[in-house]
Amino acid sequence: MPCDLADYEVSFLRLIEKLTNGTTIEISYTGTTVLLHPGLLPGGTYTHTCPTSRGIGYFLEPLVVLGCFGKRALEITLDGITGEEGRDLSVDMIRTVTLPHLHLFGIEDGLELQIKKRGAAPLGGGRVVFRCPVVKSVKTLNFTSPGKIKRIRGISMVDAARGVLNRYIPDIYLYTDVYKGEDSGKSPGYGLTLLALSNTSALHSAETISVPAPSSTTPASFDTLASTTSTQRFQTPEELATHAARLLLESVARGGCVDESHQWLVLLMMVLGPEDVGRCRMGALTPFSIQFLRDLYDFFSVRFKIAPLDSPLASNAVADSTATDGEAAAPNGEEGGESSSEASENEGQVVLGMQVNEVKRAKGEEEESSGIRNGKYRPKEFMVSCVGMGYGNINRSAA
Amino acid sequence: MSEPPHKAHRPSQSGKKAEKKDVAKGKDRSGGSKGFNEKAFTSSSFRTANLQARRTAEKDQKRLHVPLVSRAPVERKIVAQFGPDGKPLPVDTASEPPPPPPIVIAIAGPPGVGKSTLMKSLIRRYTKHSLNEIRGPVTVVSGKTRRLTFIEVGNDLNSMIDVGKIADLVLLMIDGSFGFEMETFEFINVLQSHGFPKVIGLLTHLDLIKKSATLKDTKKRLKHRFWTEIYQGAKLFHLSGVLNGRYPDTEINNLCRFMSVVKFRPLIFRNQHPYLLADRIQDLTPREAVRLDPKMDRTVTLYGYLRGINLSAKNASVHIPGAGDLIVKTVERLPDPCPLPTLDSERRRKMGEKGKLIHAPMSDVGGMTFDKDAVYVNVMGSFTRREDEEEGVMQGEGEQMVMDMQDVKGTMAEGLAKSNIRLLGSSTKALAVQEAKPRERRAAGDRRRTTAFVPEDQDEDDEDESDEDDEGGPAGDDVQDEDGDEGNFADSDDENWELENMTGFQQDGPSQRELDIEYDSADDASDDVDDFDDAPWRSDLRDTIGGDDDISRRDIMSLIYNSNLSPEEIVHGKSVQHNTAKGEDVDDMFTVSRKAVQSNAVQNTTTDQLKQPVDVDSLRQRWDDEDMLEAIEYMFITRPGADGVDGEAYEQAEGDFEDLEGGEDGDEEDEEQHVQGSEVPYIGKGGTSMRTAEENKAEALAAKKEALKRKFDEEYDDPDAEGEKMDFYDEQKAEMARQQQVNDAEFAHVDAETRAQIEGYRAGSYVRLEIENVPCEMIENFDPSFPIIVGGLLAAEERFGYLTARIKRHRWHVKTLKTNDPMIFSLGWRRFQSLPIYHLDDHSIRNRMLKYTPEHMHCHATFYGPVSAPNTGFCAFNTLSGSVSNFRISATGVILDIDRTAKIVKKLKLTGVPYKIFKNTAFIKDMFNSALEVAKFEGANVRTVSGIRGQIKKALSKPEGSYRATFEDKILMSGKLRSL
Repeated sequence: MPCDLADYEVSFLRLIEKLTNGTTIEISYTGTTVLLHPGLLPGGTYTHTCPTSRGIGYFLEPLVVLGCFGKRALEITLDGITGEEGRDLSVDMIRTVTLPHLHLFGIEDGLELQIKKRGAAPLGGGRVVFRCPVVKSVKTLNFTSPGKIKRIRGISMVDAARGVLNRYIPDIYLYTDVYKGEDSGKSPGYGLTLLALSNTSALHSAETISVPAPSSTTPASFDTLASTTSTQRFQTPEELATHAARLLLESVARGGCVDESHQWLVLLMMVLGPEDVGRCRMGALTPFSIQFLRDLYDFFSVRFKIAPLDSPLASNAVADSTATDGEAAAPNGEEGGESSSEASENEGQVVLGMQVNEVKRAKGEEEESSGIRNGKYRPKEFMVSCVGMGYGNINRSAA
Repeated sequence: MSEPPHKAHRPSQSGKKAEKKDVAKGKDRSGGSKGFNEKAFTSSSFRTANLQARRTAEKDQKRLHVPLVSRAPVERKIVAQFGPDGKPLPVDTASEPPPPPPIVIAIAGPPGVGKSTLMKSLIRRYTKHSLNEIRGPVTVVSGKTRRLTFIEVGNDLNSMIDVGKIADLVLLMIDGSFGFEMETFEFINVLQSHGFPKVIGLLTHLDLIKKSATLKDTKKRLKHRFWTEIYQGAKLFHLSGVLNGRYPDTEINNLCRFMSVVKFRPLIFRNQHPYLLADRIQDLTPREAVRLDPKMDRTVTLYGYLRGINLSAKNASVHIPGAGDLIVKTVERLPDPCPLPTLDSERRRKMGEKGKLIHAPMSDVGGMTFDKDAVYVNVMGSFTRREDEEEGVMQGEGEQMVMDMQDVKGTMAEGLAKSNIRLLGSSTKALAVQEAKPRERRAAGDRRRTTAFVPEDQDEDDEDESDEDDEGGPAGDDVQDEDGDEGNFADSDDENWELENMTGFQQDGPSQRELDIEYDSADDASDDVDDFDDAPWRSDLRDTIGGDDDISRRDIMSLIYNSNLSPEEIVHGKSVQHNTAKGEDVDDMFTVSRKAVQSNAVQNTTTDQLKQPVDVDSLRQRWDDEDMLEAIEYMFITRPGADGVDGEAYEQAEGDFEDLEGGEDGDEEDEEQHVQGSEVPYIGKGGTSMRTAEENKAEALAAKKEALKRKFDEEYDDPDAEGEKMDFYDEQKAEMARQQQVNDAEFAHVDAETRAQIEGYRAGSYVRLEIENVPCEMIENFDPSFPIIVGGLLAAEERFGYLTARIKRHRWHVKTLKTNDPMIFSLGWRRFQSLPIYHLDDHSIRNRMLKYTPEHMHCHATFYGPVSAPNTGFCAFNTLSGSVSNFRISATGVILDIDRTAKIVKKLKLTGVPYKIFKNTAFIKDMFNSALEVAKFEGANVRTVSGIRGQIKKALSKPEGSYRATFEDKILMSGKLRSL
């Protein structure tokens, strides 16, 4: 029973100790109790070697948030596995998706993640450098219009994903990013990170990474990982890419203004914002996000208002977002997805839409259940809003 | 002598006759919009034009300040809400946004200057009450939008510090016949280091100066002295003599008039913290427990208007100066004891009543205050029934109630049991009392509280649930209901919906809304019903309400915050078995991790990973389905959805030119796509049967053109587009206003309880704070003339650390300050003692310790203490006692940095003695202990007492720690040596 600390957890605690001034960590002899008194973040330059039992993403995720609240800019070099299937975000994903999410909160200049070397599971050997500027306080978010997907980008070694995605949009560019020789890490692997960008710069992403074949050298955790997650091993890179493309569609179909695996980040930054109401439209909340919301309440005593988008509360909010943004907000339950003033002009279309609906109805119940109405899939979305706690970067010195 | 010539006739330029003539002559004197006098709008001379231009420029610049958001509610009139019958509805204090809190006006000055007299005069002016003895803060209504809280500042330095942190306006009283006193300057300095609120000076005792020339001189002298302390042109009023124990009415009137228009600039510290000036304190500790242990920690309640930012509803930590850091156990919003007048209240007010415009619980003011623990009635005379007296005389509302209470036969519960309250006028049956569950159940967090009242008939089930929760018990509502006052429940369509959300129940009838979107399987909706029956809180609720089966809505908020379902259960529904039993799911998009969800109790193992496990097969199945693929096409910019305008945005974003007439683009991929598209022209497969692809395409093009045209018009038709003209300042202001609007609108439809949970208790509301573990001294030594301040702490401010500050000894403090001498700091809300170490920044290389603070110069100080954000000002004292005759503020400064460690280096001077002297070389011993130490200092400068300079060369082996040094001259054996 894994109730004591895993090696990557110990490593993470050590990393935190390294990055902070005044942190005390007490780990009991059995490894079942941890007492941590956090210190302050001085910033500066650090290096950390992550164990191969977990990807770099695991260590980088918290740093992405902590980095900007230090005294000085943070620069940290992390060694380890740059991407692994099924658990943590790959460094490509963090670079292309996580960091843009921080831009929403005014953390922009000097924020970068350089991938020096890639290193696939199980042996790793990758290296990334994360740089983060210091901010005084984060900005209030008001992101209510998801917009339309305008381009799809990817970092890959394979091209098959285009087949699935081409029907939607011509603006697809998959960048093949192959590292050679020493920079490619200690074990072979490949993967595909896809992201879809909307015209309101909402991001959706998906990625698939090859799972190493089990062998005697493979750490045990990967076997268990491969068996617990229902991820199958893909025989060919093409299969993997198709899977990634489907995942991207899935992610897009979930709706919202932020990527589903970055809901936590947006929620956290909203809490840390000024004492104003921050609002964000999100797709269905993931279990992780729900747990995160509870943790936020325990830790910061901040609650969110979470209104389904089809409710009058949320639609009220959407209505004024259309007014302010000038950008048509969103498909909510009713027909007038864009704006009601348009309805008269598009009567023909509406009629057609209804006919489609009739046809669909004839097709049977399953259409209804799949969330498709009028030939459109309407995701279940939420308007999430909260009052920030007015956190200012107290580490930052005044002089 | 000839007569002077008559004046020439000048025909009238205005009036009926002139107008007629104008019309006849066809003359237009209106001059368009500018008025007929053209000269009035332009200057004839360059000098005037110059002056005017300068004046406008100056005015324009003067209004510019660093834009600061004020967190206080804006002052506004309370407008009465009118019911359907045209009668004004009573203001619902719980849901109505609170008006701004009363302005705190501190009256400060040396003893005997006339503070109490001024306070009495002001209160008399506003309320027509003559108070005999004023204790603690007094709140009065000063107008339709403004209330004032007066507080007298004693001569004690502690209360000066505390009041200085919360006062919005200070009336600084100066004895004109004496001049400024030291305490006045001390107070001004305290104010300066804590944000500097507005200060108005008041010169009193001017009647004691008999000679008018002296009076004039004195006034002028004091005015200029005052101006140097505050700012040039600061307001200074004169109060002449005392009439009937009050200042002359005209002078007080002038002062009031000025106070009513004073504007306040938000102070940064107060804009970041919630705080409260307690106007009442109550000890809730059981008497018996106190008797057994008189020194036990107390449970107290504090009352007051919230100020600053919102106070968190959950475990807010506060600092009460003098009592320490405490956790607020409960916050409760109470009805405003001193409400702003509304149209309604003015109508109801009887002529005889003076209007309850005063709230001073610590003083002997008539009036009545309600709260959870008790009702407090203050009236003159006794409360016993006077049988002999005739009825009709006297008796305000409060007094009447006390008298009536003596008639009460049974307890409230008995009364409730007998009463038959109807929830709505149309209700057929009355509410019945069921067990009212104790409050702790909610705190446990696992169950929803049930309602105390349950209607027998199922129709009007859910109206009152949230309200009951708000009031924390049946009593509050009850009183209202008995009055037949159903204003709260009128026209509550929106609330109704929300209530459903909160409780998970729907009301029957037309207001019922279908849940349109269910992306789970077809059976999920019904599954949910079944699933949630299993949840204990659900069945509990259902039992109480009485079998309402129509549950189709789950409210995610209450599931997240008020239930103990695991996150997976919330996302996927309660149980797994149901779904699998229903056969194959067509597209179980979100069923992937259901297998992982096995039991409620076991925490899932995947809490530390972001990626959710994915079911590959179902994913493939889902996205191989052509309908599904098609159904999300509208989310992409290239595909116009059912509404044709969707396509527009693409061009806007890309800025590409698309040939509308030309049809397809040249791109191959696009061609392929459009070919595909022409089979299915944007609207799904079924559409082809009705229209040809051609028609559709034409229509889409037309729509596109239309959209483009509209966009063009928008861009070019509107010449005064606002974005262009606004400068930075205006932009910031506009942005602040926009954010304020969002803030106001976002929770406007949320009920008060939920709203408080989300955004905390808002500034301006009158609240009751229950605080546990308060040191008993606070109660035992309570004196209303000392203010009780509750200052909210931010998360970071509860920790301790090393604070580095820029500090300067006050120029009037007589002694220089020495490192490690204890000082009392007033920083943030706190007053604490610490040991500062002074140091100076040595070329940014090191911080060199100083033993004493430098004269006339800033230096740094580092001390251990509770942290405050950088840029917070503070002042420091060597002593706070009143017996010291010197100026007590030793230093003022500002926090620069916070850390867990601070590196300060101290210069060491080592001494040694020569034991062998050559020509210019000497062997020195007793300076170091080892050769290693010497090695560290090789090349360092040394000097003899007589001033001969030298250098450390190399360690010697023989006596450990000795070394060879060279000097500029031969040194003496007797000379002592010092390192530099």
